[in-house]
Amino acid sequence: MNRIAQGLVLVLLGAASLSATLATDLYLNYVQEVFRPFLIGAGVVLVVLGVVSIAADVRVASQGGDAPEDHAYDDYAHAGHGHDHGRGPGVAWLLLLPVVAVFVIAPPPLGAYSASNGAAAEAPKEAEEGGFADLGTNGDGPRTMELQEFVMRAWTDQDRALSGREVELTGFVVPHPDGKGWYLARLQMACCAADAIVNRVLITGEKEPAKDTWWTVRGTWQEPKGELQDVRDHRFTVTEMKDVENPPDPYE
Amino acid sequence: MPERSAEPVPASLGDSLADGFDGRDESLPPADWGRPSGPRRTATVWLFAVFIVLLGVGEAWLSDRLTNEAFLAWATIFTAISLQAMPFLVFGVALSAALTAFVPASFWQRVIPKNAAAAVPVAGAAGAVLPGCECASVPVANGLIRRGVAPAAALTFLLSAPAINPIVLVATAVAFPGQPEMVAARFVASLGAAVVVGWLWARFGRTDWMRPQRVHHDPGATKWQVFADSMRHDLMHAGGFLVVGGLAAATLNVIVPRDWVIAVADMPVVSVLVLALLAILLSICSEADAFVAASLSEFSNTAKLAFLVVGPMVDLKLIALQAGTFGWTFVRRFVPLVLIATLVFSFAIGGLLL
Repeated sequence: MNRIAQGLVLVLLGAASLSATLATDLYLNYVQEVFRPFLIGAGVVLVVLGVVSIAADVRVASQGGDAPEDHAYDDYAHAGHGHDHGRGPGVAWLLLLPVVAVFVIAPPPLGAYSASNGAAAEAPKEAEEGGFADLGTNGDGPRTMELQEFVMRAWTDQDRALSGREVELTGFVVPHPDGKGWYLARLQMACCAADAIVNRVLITGEKEPAKDTWWTVRGTWQEPKGELQDVRDHRFTVTEMKDVENPPDPYE
Repeated sequence: MPERSAEPVPASLGDSLADGFDGRDESLPPADWGRPSGPRRTATVWLFAVFIVLLGVGEAWLSDRLTNEAFLAWATIFTAISLQAMPFLVFGVALSAALTAFVPASFWQRVIPKNAAAAVPVAGAAGAVLPGCECASVPVANGLIRRGVAPAAALTFLLSAPAINPIVLVATAVAFPGQPEMVAARFVASLGAAVVVGWLWARFGRTDWMRPQRVHHDPGATKWQVFADSMRHDLMHAGGFLVVGGLAAATLNVIVPRDWVIAVADMPVVSVLVLALLAILLSICSEADAFVAASLSEFSNTAKLAFLVVGPMVDLKLIALQAGTFGWTFVRRFVPLVLIATLVFSFAIGGLLL
């Protein structure tokens, strides 16, 4: 891989990073929102470094010479077990794969497929005492909650304050493997999509909408009879549901 | 009259020209001088022009036709790992290049003890100060070795920095609320493993196992030229292998059924080994792994500790990066050593503290 190819690869890689953050919101499909400035910074550095490399190469060429680095002037290269400093390794061509992924494939956010195959959130081992946000009363209107907050509360709040409280949840539809109802699910991402885990509630009273469609449901938690932590999936009674456009940030 | 001549008579005009040409060989530049680079440079530019056009065609024509769910999930995770690692890699490479270009070698000789055995704990503790994930630490360690720091000390830093830096410890505390012993166990086990590996490397390691990292720069080059050259060089070597690691991790993330993992959670020793293996395969960034460990709630705390201690020091992405930077000869010896040390410390500290 010669110097000008390395420069062009760097420019393309930087451009992919900038296009996914500045031109579009594509990056939200893959990483957390806080990553945006870092991705922009890395993109700018890559583009500048690529342009500098290309310019240096072209300047040397226009002076009628060959880029000095193209001759092995690393001592070890002559000894046969080193690498020439100016030429890039073949594996560096793989850096074009993320470029193709961003520009051509533009993979969508993870959805029902990963939610049915990936890791589901589990009941925490210890119940927590107090420290919960005040839920208000039904007189204040339905309370909007993230699915993550809802299931954690349902698992850990021994006072069962959720019981009877009208709640609004937003998520996408995941089919139940045995067809006994369906899940409203949302993926929770700690850092990037590779570590996403799914939070979900089981809905049995309503007809199943199309997979991967987004809905806002209003209703109440079905209080389980036994221990909270023994519950595999919390059930939700829907009183009203309406479909939504994909929210801008698909993850919680 | 005898036919005598000062010179052998050329048999033909062609031979005489060829002889003359050979005779002048030394005064001419090498035959390939300047020749391949011009056309090759142009060819490269054309190649990239075609590639960019194909990107445009692909975007217009192919994007909507890719609908296979498993493939798209794989592509999403691959892109996520690549994008998430990129800022850290660029930061690490820039820091490493700055160490090479701007910090004189004499500085390191003053700060780091000469004796490798004494330098190892210093380097391990230094890892607790500098925030950075594993993608950044490999090029930084490489930069340190280039500047004459003992390889054992640089490798200790490589291991400890992603495992015990402040961001990672805070993330661990957030992921395990009410369990400060988890943070303490992670810190002690990771630092212990890093220092022990460093000492073993100082005692038994050989320099020729690592690909030589001495880089000769044009004596006339400015510091900024050295900086840019060193950055480009490191990005090309480490970046390509980072993509290899991302491909492997995304593939395993999509094809390993989660149910298999859950099924072994109740077996005491096996569950620890399984989570260690999972940490190696998933290659999650050390800043995020605590959240994943916390979500694996069927597993014992010792198993989760193994996940947190092994992951930042041994994983597919990291192995690929190290191979790209130091070579396979190094990886074949270093990785098993680190794996054993991290497992021993996970079991020991898990038994003592958790």
